[in-house]
Amino acid sequence: MRLITKATILVAALALAACTDPGRFGNGDGSGANGGAGAAGSASDPTSTAYFQQSVGDRVLFAVDQFNISPEYISVLDGQATWLTTNSDYIATIEGHADEQGTSAYNLALSARRANAVREYLISRGVSGNRLQVVSYGKERPIEVCSDEACYTKNRRAVTVLSSALTG
Amino acid sequence: MNNRLDTATYLSGAGHLGLIAWIVFGGLFTPEPLPFDVTQVSVMSGAEFAALQATSRTPQSTTEIALPETPEVSSDAPDTTSPPDEVSTQPVPDISGTPQPDVVPDIAPLAEVEPPELAPDQPAPPEDIAVLAPDVQEEAVPNPAERVAPEPVAEPDPETAIADVEQDAVTEAETGETAQETQEAQAPEEATTEIVTEATAAPARSIRPPSNRPSAPAPTPAAQPAPAEEPETSAQETESAVNAALAEALAGSSEPSAPSGPPMSAGERDSLRVAVSNCWNVGALSTEALRTTVVVAVRLAEDGKPLPGSVKLLNSSGGSDAAANQAFGAARRAIIRCGASGYDLPAEKYEQWREIEMTFNPEGMRLK
Amino acid sequence: MMRYLATVLVCFGMLLLPVTVNSEPLRITIDEGIIEPMPFAVPDFEAENAAADAYATNIARVIAEDLSGTGLFRELPSSAFISQVTDFGAAIQYADWKAINAQALITGAVNVSGDTLNVKFRVYDVFSGAELGNGLQFAGTLNGWRRMAHKVADAVYSRITGEGGYFDSRVVFVSETGPKNDRKKRLAIMDYDGANAQFLTGSEAIVLAPRFSPTGDRVLYTSYESGFPRIYVLDVGGTQNSRALEQQEGTMSFAPRFAPDGQTVVYSLTQGGNTDIYTLNIASGGTTRLTNTPSIETAPSYSPDGSQIVFESDRSGTQQLYTMPASGGEARRISFGQGRYGTPVWSPRGDLVAFTKQNKGRFHIGVMRLDGSEERLLTASFLDEGPTWAPNGRVIMFTRETQGAGGVASLYSVDISGRNLKPVRTPEGGSDPSWSPLQN
Repeated sequence: MRLITKATILVAALALAACTDPGRFGNGDGSGANGGAGAAGSASDPTSTAYFQQSVGDRVLFAVDQFNISPEYISVLDGQATWLTTNSDYIATIEGHADEQGTSAYNLALSARRANAVREYLISRGVSGNRLQVVSYGKERPIEVCSDEACYTKNRRAVTVLSSALTG
Repeated sequence: MNNRLDTATYLSGAGHLGLIAWIVFGGLFTPEPLPFDVTQVSVMSGAEFAALQATSRTPQSTTEIALPETPEVSSDAPDTTSPPDEVSTQPVPDISGTPQPDVVPDIAPLAEVEPPELAPDQPAPPEDIAVLAPDVQEEAVPNPAERVAPEPVAEPDPETAIADVEQDAVTEAETGETAQETQEAQAPEEATTEIVTEATAAPARSIRPPSNRPSAPAPTPAAQPAPAEEPETSAQETESAVNAALAEALAGSSEPSAPSGPPMSAGERDSLRVAVSNCWNVGALSTEALRTTVVVAVRLAEDGKPLPGSVKLLNSSGGSDAAANQAFGAARRAIIRCGASGYDLPAEKYEQWREIEMTFNPEGMRLK
Repeated sequence: MMRYLATVLVCFGMLLLPVTVNSEPLRITIDEGIIEPMPFAVPDFEAENAAADAYATNIARVIAEDLSGTGLFRELPSSAFISQVTDFGAAIQYADWKAINAQALITGAVNVSGDTLNVKFRVYDVFSGAELGNGLQFAGTLNGWRRMAHKVADAVYSRITGEGGYFDSRVVFVSETGPKNDRKKRLAIMDYDGANAQFLTGSEAIVLAPRFSPTGDRVLYTSYESGFPRIYVLDVGGTQNSRALEQQEGTMSFAPRFAPDGQTVVYSLTQGGNTDIYTLNIASGGTTRLTNTPSIETAPSYSPDGSQIVFESDRSGTQQLYTMPASGGEARRISFGQGRYGTPVWSPRGDLVAFTKQNKGRFHIGVMRLDGSEERLLTASFLDEGPTWAPNGRVIMFTRETQGAGGVASLYSVDISGRNLKPVRTPEGGSDPSWSPLQN
């Protein structure tokens, strides 16, 4: 890789780090933390978070009441593990979520199981545990609002959210 | 002299012995109640009675039926002059949150509770007999005037009823409706005596674990478990009573005097019972008072009106004194309210119903 | 001698007379009654001085609303009154009140002296023609007039029903607005009837499940302000300060409740994906682990005597309710019906547990005895959850969320008989209510 590209990437990474919004945990925006991704962080850049979200896949879905990783998502998590191992200046917070079909506290605990399941899988794939945090939102942060299975499926998720190790 | 003394002594002794004998053995000779009453009830099964009731009554209107009370002409209730200094001052805390002493209400006992008399035990029917009237689904009413009363309404087909109500419950979830259905007490095992709530209208009812409700059909309320009534003797017949008593005492036999009028029929007793039931409002009783059975005595005037001063609590069971007072209050209100224009009782049998002991047993009415 | 004999005989006869003339009373058993709201009347209270005019009317209104709101009483409108009560000390014309079927009559008087409000009242059992209990008087600040009205209503309610009252109480809850995928939540507190609502926190961070302390002076709640669910204590009595409870790194804690001693908090802690129940002593900071299983244990609630807790666990495969000694130990399952049980709350009377039940796609609020018997469902809807008990153990408040993209959450209350289900007014949407004890 040419020097200019590396430098650009480094500068972009620093710029992105500065844009991390610490309040994102409070607002629970599950689909991505970085406020203003620069051009270098576009999805075509394999080291960008956008790439992570769109090409690698930042989320895993779960069946009702379940927290085990279904076979179809193994490859997604493998991809995440690879990416994280490659881009070691990132840390990740795995957010667990549940659909609205349950009581509040139980859903908090269930979504914690989901997030933890993802974490343990990534660890088993070589990602260092101290780069992976877990938080659970229960049913507080749905991304789909209808009350049908179509929406519920998308809400039962664990999302791996990246942040730079420099600020983490 | 000796002779007379002996005679007097013998007479005295005989009289005393006769008296004692009459007291001891007289009970053996009381007439049995007419078997007519008992047989009639036991022949009809619970289901038949339910069916009979269902077809004979009309649906209850949902609106509150205010009993037309005739104003009391005489002030038999003494006017209470209430001097202001009876009021006791209680400090109330400032709302800024500093700890405050408790407000201690000064409550005098509600009614005198007389020592329990030897009222014979009322073997209360163990089964739940409460029957509910239906309440038509109203539009959202801030203060729903729901009335749950003993008169049943023709029981709807269970399947359709559940389906209908369930639909209503779903759509009207926002308005917070409660649905009530008629349930007959004699239906097997089902939670028939429940107030049907939004939840129990849905199939979830079936999940309820079995409770210890006896499944045998309850004896109808017409069955009076009370022991045989002693026919009363008219007070005016003291003369003949004396003669009769003398005859008993001397002869040792123990036939009671003739009753005034034929014995009260089941229908007449039932009409009194139903009349009082209609005013016995247990809706505003604490759950403990709903576990308390009270026996209340009342005397009626010849026109069938209860003498308010005569309403007394004889006995209570199942709850604390406070709960008994509450239950007594509800019973007293029932007797006085529905008797305000006089109970419908046969005048010629007045001596039989001049004094009444009513047992108010809320077992069938309480929340399970 | 014959005269003497006759006299003797007559005397005996007289002795026997009461025995034979002793009439057996007619005995009947009443075992069916009616359940209907008791009609009552509350004429406007007498204003003893001009400054008390507005208070006199408003206090009478609040009392009437409290009683009617229970579903056990029905107010007779003043247009129906035959006689008026203008003088608190005057005698009551019982006949006039009987004529309109007012079974209970409440009269009162109010006066204002400086910054102090004095309220006195009497209750009458109309059909017995007598006062029910003695009159009472309260004194307080002008601002506290609603509380005094509630105290009067509590006294009236108690005297008539025999139950303790619950009107002089508050509710802390989560006030929420916005669409489901961007809901803003903040803590709020109000009188039980929705009056005097105020916000306690901002809405920058998610807040959940506030819970009153046994004396109503503090509130425990869960907040995401640190980025993770964490338990905080808020002082609602005076300072309005809040502080976080100690928490280990890498853990999440939530679903806290006070013990009756007000010093211990029981809560759920999640570590490594596993959720168990712990207690924390607020003063010393010491924690004790009560459960240690790979299943989810959460939503604990103390018995009123503090000796036991009831909680939900999915150790059997589905969420069910269990009781356990408060210091830990053997858990005993108490729910056995179809469906899943959660959010158990022990009644302040100690006799029942309220819970949320999910079955066949419906949610219900229900109650059961502590051994699991006599389960009764009180509500049914798309989503009901999170019951809380009124101080007298007779009314339950809970959250009801409606279906669909436009779904909103509101607070509802229901009597434990299942009757009188109705919404509770809140400034915006509302959820997670917690009912305070009766205020002193």
